[in-house]
Amino acid sequence: MATTYKTFLNNDITSTKTLLHEAIPLTGALVSGTYGTFPNGDNIKNYAHGMFQSIYDYPYLSSSANHIFDLTVGYSGITGAKSALSSSSNIQNSKKINMYNQMAQVLMGYDQNGNILPFDRDGNITGGGEKMLDAVFINFGRLLGKDELKKGSFSLTLGTGSYASANNSRIVIQDTNAQNDFRVNSPAGEYGILSCSSGASGTPSCGLIFYQAGIAVVSSSVFQQTTVGGILNSTSGSKAGAGYVDFGNTAGAASIRQVMSGSAISGSCDDFRHRIYNMSFNNTTELNSTIHFCRINHNDYNYSANPTYLSSSKIVVKNNTQDAPVSYITTVGLYSADNELLAVAKLSEPLKKDPTNEMTVRVRLDY
Amino acid sequence: MAFLDNSGDIILDAVLTDTGRFRLAKGDGSFKIVKFALGDDEINYGSYNKSHPSASAYYDLEILQTPVLEAFTNNTSTMKSKLISIPRTNLLYLPVMKLSGPTESETSGSGQFDGSFTVLTNLATAGDSNNNGILDSKDGWVGTGSPAIKGVMNGYEPFTGVGSYIRIDQGLDTGEIANTYTIDADLNETQYIIEMDNRFGSIVSIGQSVAAKSANVSYIDDDNIASYYLSKNTDPEFIVDVSDASTIAGPRGTSLRFKIQASTDLATSTYLFEQLGTTGYTLKGNAATVQSLRYIDSIIKVTGATTGYSISIPVRFARKV
Repeated sequence: MATTYKTFLNNDITSTKTLLHEAIPLTGALVSGTYGTFPNGDNIKNYAHGMFQSIYDYPYLSSSANHIFDLTVGYSGITGAKSALSSSSNIQNSKKINMYNQMAQVLMGYDQNGNILPFDRDGNITGGGEKMLDAVFINFGRLLGKDELKKGSFSLTLGTGSYASANNSRIVIQDTNAQNDFRVNSPAGEYGILSCSSGASGTPSCGLIFYQAGIAVVSSSVFQQTTVGGILNSTSGSKAGAGYVDFGNTAGAASIRQVMSGSAISGSCDDFRHRIYNMSFNNTTELNSTIHFCRINHNDYNYSANPTYLSSSKIVVKNNTQDAPVSYITTVGLYSADNELLAVAKLSEPLKKDPTNEMTVRVRLDY
Repeated sequence: MAFLDNSGDIILDAVLTDTGRFRLAKGDGSFKIVKFALGDDEINYGSYNKSHPSASAYYDLEILQTPVLEAFTNNTSTMKSKLISIPRTNLLYLPVMKLSGPTESETSGSGQFDGSFTVLTNLATAGDSNNNGILDSKDGWVGTGSPAIKGVMNGYEPFTGVGSYIRIDQGLDTGEIANTYTIDADLNETQYIIEMDNRFGSIVSIGQSVAAKSANVSYIDDDNIASYYLSKNTDPEFIVDVSDASTIAGPRGTSLRFKIQASTDLATSTYLFEQLGTTGYTLKGNAATVQSLRYIDSIIKVTGATTGYSISIPVRFARKV
């Protein structure tokens, strides 16, 4: 009986999961000045509501532009954990509180009484400890972050110099060793502790990075000296004698906390972008694969229905009946029970098939 | 599609077809891969050089150097020619399928059937009892004069009159073996798959009135290609053993015979003709006047489910302007 289809047996199909990582480097120039005069680059999109700012890799009006990340700032208005920055006289005070609360309820969740938990500096929520009550949020687009950020791969270098020469001195913020040391007590998935690996006094924690959510929370303390509750040592480009980096765009006029309370969210985001020297991480794509083993036995598929295979019904690759039939495989078709072609695989070169050989073609479909 | 890089290791480029993605999106369990087949669409076996001076190792040198295209995602654009499993290795002849026209006698001779069919899609085109259309008394023969034009089908009322129909015979088309020999059982095709554009028409049997039967559509894919699976056991109205004259020169297997019924879209509207067709086609009708027609050219593909051999038949759907 001539046949063209061969049914898979139970042990011919298996599934597997693989993780695919891509390195994503982002330069500071891209987010502050490449496409126009800072702070109004064509790749920076501000919204009428003013609650966050979007950064693209190309002028966002172009269809070629890709969304990289969003920036926003906020401070806590949570009862019992209210930020000192919160004041009704602040510009966009309620929006900044709303941003913090929104991020906190999504990323940190609620306590047993239904109250929003503030961001905890070391992730030990039940143990109390220091909270991050004012922070910058970096929300990576799914286009870059994919399924999740790779633990231990995040690095953010911030300039801590004067406003005019912001990158003359720098600090590096990383999730060092997060692949071995991360937290799982967040409703948004796993997160790691960001710590300052250079330019600070020791290696203090200064933020959190949520891997599945693709959000980095950076404490405002990264631009403050230890003398005023920050993490910078006395030589880290801070404003001489004042204890902070001159964060505002009027030289020497403002610390980050003064900017966060006194400027709109978009202005705070502009000033933060100004200090991004570079940023990098690896993303992760989870590939679920089904592997089909197409087992071709010695007496399988030695003939072809190709119209060129016959000349007046005679097989062109044979001279007489004793010659072995031969065919050449270029394509593997995977079919449903009702013979509909569901997937197709192409070999990069023809494979010779005759009764003297057997082969197994391994077709992997990723989902 | 580009060619696959064949400079190094053999790689496999696998994609879901549009039908595969469609079924996956439906989420009803219809996406289930249960079998595979192998194809050799790019191979031209005419390049197999059995007289190569450097002996048999060089016979297939050109074939093995054939560049292979990347995978198409359109399910109907690939796996056109499949490889066949036959346990015997001593076969020298394989069966083919061949268009045998409305009848065998009409496939030769001057002014006779030229291998393509025309389906008249509505009453005004096909004609009525007053012979106002192209067909003569609706029986399917065109023109009473000489030369007659064959292969024109009444798609409006396919069950009226014997008329033209599509006949495909299967067997060993060789004069080396007498047609009195019986074809081997494992080479005798008993199941056929017909694929045609469902927007244009459907498959019906050649019988008249009560003997008429519409074929059941097995599946319509995302490109509107309808597949009909016909079996000799369950569809004897369509598949019969070849017992009369045939274009197959040698031992004969089965014969697939069917007509096409025009879709209601083509019968009642010119929309598809305007979208997919053109004008400029004329036929001389029974009333001896030349009829100017709109037409859509299409292909009907018939594949032997057992042997994998396939044949594409050009079909023109026509409607009076």
